Amino acid sequence: MGVGLTSGLFLWLTIMMAAGGIAGTTWLWPRLAWQRNGQVGARIALIALGQILIVAAVLAYLNDSFSFFSSWSALIGPVPARQSAVSLPDTARAASTQPIVITGSSIGATYRGGSALGRYGSGLIASPGGRPDAAGLPLFAGRTHAPTRSISAAARSGAVLRVTIRGQYTGIVGASDYVYLPPVYFQPAYAKARFPVVLAFAGYPTDPLNMMGMLGLPAMAARLATAHRIRPAIYVMVNPSVALPRDTECTNIPAGLQVATFFGTDVPLAVERTFRAQSRPRGWAAMGFSTGAYCAAKMAMLYPGQFSAAVGMSGIYAAIKDHTTGNLYGGSHGYRSENDLQWRLRNLPAPPVSVLIASSAGENNLPGSLAFLHLIHPPMQGYSLILPRGGHNYSTWRRELPQILRWLSRRLTPPAPGHGAARPREQVVKK
Amino acid sequence: MLGLTSHVLIALLAVVAGLLFAGVLGTWPRLAGPGAERVALRVLALCAVQASILSLTFVMVNRSNNFYSSWSDLLGRYTGGGTLAAVSHGATGSSALVSVLSTRSIRVPGRRRSAGTLQTVLIRGELSGLTVGGHIYLPPGYRDAARRPRQYPVILTIAASQLNAASPYGPGRLATSTAMRIVAGRLQPVIVVMLPPSVRSDPGCLNIPGGPQAALFFTQDLRTAIGSGYRGNTQRTRWALLGDKSGGYCALQLALTNAPMFAAVVVPPGNYQAPPGPPAWDSSPQLRHQDDLLWLVRHQPGQPISVLFAGSRTDSPFFSLAHAPMRVASAPPQTGLWPLAPALDWLGRSLNADGSS
Repeated sequence: MGVGLTSGLFLWLTIMMAAGGIAGTTWLWPRLAWQRNGQVGARIALIALGQILIVAAVLAYLNDSFSFFSSWSALIGPVPARQSAVSLPDTARAASTQPIVITGSSIGATYRGGSALGRYGSGLIASPGGRPDAAGLPLFAGRTHAPTRSISAAARSGAVLRVTIRGQYTGIVGASDYVYLPPVYFQPAYAKARFPVVLAFAGYPTDPLNMMGMLGLPAMAARLATAHRIRPAIYVMVNPSVALPRDTECTNIPAGLQVATFFGTDVPLAVERTFRAQSRPRGWAAMGFSTGAYCAAKMAMLYPGQFSAAVGMSGIYAAIKDHTTGNLYGGSHGYRSENDLQWRLRNLPAPPVSVLIASSAGENNLPGSLAFLHLIHPPMQGYSLILPRGGHNYSTWRRELPQILRWLSRRLTPPAPGHGAARPREQVVKK
Repeated sequence: MLGLTSHVLIALLAVVAGLLFAGVLGTWPRLAGPGAERVALRVLALCAVQASILSLTFVMVNRSNNFYSSWSDLLGRYTGGGTLAAVSHGATGSSALVSVLSTRSIRVPGRRRSAGTLQTVLIRGELSGLTVGGHIYLPPGYRDAARRPRQYPVILTIAASQLNAASPYGPGRLATSTAMRIVAGRLQPVIVVMLPPSVRSDPGCLNIPGGPQAALFFTQDLRTAIGSGYRGNTQRTRWALLGDKSGGYCALQLALTNAPMFAAVVVPPGNYQAPPGPPAWDSSPQLRHQDDLLWLVRHQPGQPISVLFAGSRTDSPFFSLAHAPMRVASAPPQTGLWPLAPALDWLGRSLNADGSS
């Protein structure tokens, strides 16, 4: 379609139409001034139409602010290319290309021109549509590089890259995800260091761009690292919904998309092959808000060989089923139970991972969050962060973020400068 | 003050919106005339009624979705975090994942020194809660390597005939076959893990919905156990699978659905359209498809695995359906005293060729 959903043009069009609705009603007003049934009906219809146009404009504005859907296809589904009984991606293609392709450049300018990295840097790193080396970045393990201007800028402020992640085994493609590389990633002393990774899930429906805009995750990580309150890590910010507008809930759908495998295996593999990332569980953690909270906890509980810790903010830890998810469990009650994290804690051995559950008084998910916490038993470790006031919104999650990032930092193996294995350096971190 | 999520506010807004709406409809004729003042009043009246309806909608949506819990929350006036607390305590220490019940040395003809060790073990699945008995063969030099640590590739054998000493898949004969190939220099030193396909009741190694999680045991628990108790290569290095007639479905199913963990598999020819045990499908067509290995090959992305069908039949539909990067080959059945030797050699070559090893 010609006019992009998140383009300024579309927002202005809807605003103009809403204003036009008011103006048109004002103009038509005298012609409907007779007290007849048809005319009264026409008045009601005009006011209703005006309301619809205003709601459309408000929704367009909210979508721009909160990045629910980044494109028309995310909102209403892709144009079906061919009809088949099940929709699985065509895979020979997916498997034959790079696991991660850097697509984004305009990361410096998030919505309304703000920087992804806040005042800690321009965030402008990758060049448009380029391969990693097009930006002159030392992205790949072991590659040496000449210090260029973009690298020295990155060494000060870090970098945010927009990436497409192709699942080698599942064929699933995460088309619009983001990777934050901390400043020390680009510093010569750390040229061979491997960094821990935090896989951060957005909610449903949320474009992960909002992890920079509303949540300010890279900016907060940069701020805390500068203050030596956390140690540097790579943040991979992903959209848990890989088949929008459907809510896939990070579930391996029987005879369908294997979304859990994608995030539990494909994404870590792709990140480890592309960036200087650690590969042990002590080098990987997951976090997320809303639907992303369920995904993060699920990753740690189902893939403890990959993730050692997870943080859930304002999540529901049961296997939900509604009109946005459709049939995720093959109609099987038993399979649905297996995707219910509370059922797992009641019926299966607990995995050896640590989970931090955050919520706030005033949220509907608080009782479920507390119930989930109380089911946790060794070797699984549970931690709670309950705010006395808050809601299901970014303001609440932003307030939780500093404590969450510090909790994660204490559980991840820090990158070690120079050669050799990474050793924890507790003295760097202020308690 | 009226709470953002209170019923009173919703009722009040509904009344205001209703009154404004009725008012606009009622006063419509009086504002119909010309004149800038009347036009301005019309615009004002319209904006008021639209704004009241919009506010009502917002408050109702906010309430049902629990977005903002109060006016202060909406205006972003809350500051500060909460208290982070540990909820559960207790030792994370767990007993050993692998218990060695007995150990014996493997001898091969023409060699006086031991050609490896065969252990009878119990493997405890940390995640699945399943405990499975089996055997583990450790290659010659494994003990010496304790001084010079090295990691060994792993072949996982899934065969019901494990208890049958006469079967080529029986632990003693399989360990001796492997030892002979290693001593002859035809196979790199490998660890061979030998397990039965039947975990509890189901011989298909599936995660039974609401029941035993056999796939979880074979993919994650076993890797953790071998990684912690042995110097098996578990980090981003894929294993090889070998299945007999009873364990073939299990082996092929694990390879097709867990290609990140398994690089190559040798099974007898067959169709593999359903697990060899009572299905756990809950009459779900989706789960039936998911457990039909031909369906998987047809519909899921080509998995980067190598499959060898060891048997005379080459009319298996897998040959026509498999697509890159999956590779399918066949080998004629072997007779003689050591029929598994070619399969072991082939698995060893596949492990070498696997890029991630």
